[in-house]
Amino acid sequence: MYGFEALTFNIHGGYLEAIVRGHRSGLLTAADYNNLCQCETLDDIKMHLSATEYGPYLQNEPSPLHTTTIVEKCTLKLVEDYKHMLCQATEPLATFLEYITYGHMIDNVVLIVTGTLHERDVQELLEKCHPLGMFDSIATLAVAQNMRELYRLVLVDTPLAPYFSECITSEDLDDMNIEIMRNTLYKAYLEDFYKFCQKLGGATAEIMSDLLSFEADRRAVNITINSIGTELTRDDRKKLYSSFGLLYPYGHEELAVCEDIDQVRGVMEKYPPYQSIFAKLSYGESQMLDKAFYEEEVKRLCLAFEQQFHYGVFFAYMRLREQEIRNLMWISECVAQNQKSRVHDSVVFIF
Amino acid sequence: MSGQSQRLNIVPTVTTLGVVKARLVGATRGHALLKKKSDALTVQFRQILKKIVSTKESMGTIMKSSSFALTEAKYVAGENVKHVVLENVHSASLKVRSRTENVAGVKLPKFEYFTEGETKNDLTGLARGGQQVQACRGAYVKAIEVLVELASLQTSFLTLDDAIKTTNRRVNALENVVKPRLENTISYIKGELDELEREDFFRLKKIQGFKKREIERQLAAAKQFAEEKVVEKVSLQKGISINAAHNLLTTAAKDEDIIF
Repeated sequence: MYGFEALTFNIHGGYLEAIVRGHRSGLLTAADYNNLCQCETLDDIKMHLSATEYGPYLQNEPSPLHTTTIVEKCTLKLVEDYKHMLCQATEPLATFLEYITYGHMIDNVVLIVTGTLHERDVQELLEKCHPLGMFDSIATLAVAQNMRELYRLVLVDTPLAPYFSECITSEDLDDMNIEIMRNTLYKAYLEDFYKFCQKLGGATAEIMSDLLSFEADRRAVNITINSIGTELTRDDRKKLYSSFGLLYPYGHEELAVCEDIDQVRGVMEKYPPYQSIFAKLSYGESQMLDKAFYEEEVKRLCLAFEQQFHYGVFFAYMRLREQEIRNLMWISECVAQNQKSRVHDSVVFIF
Repeated sequence: MSGQSQRLNIVPTVTTLGVVKARLVGATRGHALLKKKSDALTVQFRQILKKIVSTKESMGTIMKSSSFALTEAKYVAGENVKHVVLENVHSASLKVRSRTENVAGVKLPKFEYFTEGETKNDLTGLARGGQQVQACRGAYVKAIEVLVELASLQTSFLTLDDAIKTTNRRVNALENVVKPRLENTISYIKGELDELEREDFFRLKKIQGFKKREIERQLAAAKQFAEEKVVEKVSLQKGISINAAHNLLTTAAKDEDIIF
């Protein structure tokens, strides 16, 4: 029932919502980013970060510090926050929180499958997986030789099982390009998540459907742009678009036949929310498109915090943290490679 | 090295003189040719050095921009894009071939790269970051181009350096050791031959003098004999002693009054 969440939400979700809002206020501000951008070395960055919430995670690192270490430790913090929230959650919040990490799980599965296909060591592959997407039987993915076995042995027990039915019948791994598999899985995941949120109803459904539609549309645009000039056919392209979102179904029809960036721009300018994004790009340039999308996403995520008593805040928090870690990675790399002039190109300020 | 300009130990005859002279001519010509070769190699060397300096500078900037392209790709496509690409590769698509080039007689190795096989990674980052990944790939391909060129330049540099050192060593050896030695040998042989000639000449002269004295002596003996014969005849005719006849003959030449 929309509008009456205030009565019952706090019984089960009040503690965690408070925790998440506390975390949100610990996100780095524009002043912090400005300070970080002024740093000359990675040690300066470490010093600045020690005053923020990342302090305890970085203080034990020996110098010389490496950019990958910084990113690792910050991700570690994110994982710990997430695990804390997960173990305190009840249904349906627990399922919701798990849904948030299925994207990373898909990435990990695809990584291990490709690695096994090319006969790499399992331990090395496991180290390269994203920590948020780990699940218990992940190591056994390495023993499978083809998709049937993979499904039968491992995936059927994981939450990813229903997504595989769409892309696997009796094809062997080689036939389908890994990227296509990854994107098909992700499409199924988004649709599933969307349906779940709709089932939850209320403010959650409204806010999450907005965020997920944006995600789906953004993926559609990216897939279109990145598959121009490759061997991906139009039909395959269409199969990768999700079946919800602002662009569904007419936008998808038009995107599927686009052959260059300007046609994509023409399609997108018919939709007011995306018109502003594409207005920022000059003609023929698409490098800044990703940054523009990130900025728009951050804006929408921040708006999610304006309302109370819904689960969207958790999703928004996780995404905002990820963006923050991306910003930190960018700043550290610019400092380490002596490219300070480019620092402001890609940092997206959250507040 | 004891004795900078020794001479060869050979028998000083005319034929060996001819042989050594021929060797000297050969050494002179070889010296001139090697000097020319050394000069040509040095010219090439300087050119390569200049190219190396400029290539290294451009490599610095290109590597910087390609690492930055990698950072951009990681920003957009996520940190794992590196692992995704690495795991998906099973053979290199950019390979390097080597062949040798002949420069002024020196075999220099040259490397060139070629693409083999299509890469399966065209669709990496399909949902996000694909453009940045492809841009990063292009940047690193350019970096590889520069690196391969730098590698060939540097190996040629080292090989040329070696060749120049060897050639210069040979030139110096010819100039300072072989030719003086040969010249000294020639002068020695000539000296020996002259001396032999002088000896011969001296011997000849001596023998000539000997012979002349022999002949004079014989002439004198013959004259004496003839005189004695005459004296004997006179003494026989006159019945006087040989001595008296002898005196008669000798004084008769002075006394005009006596006529016989």
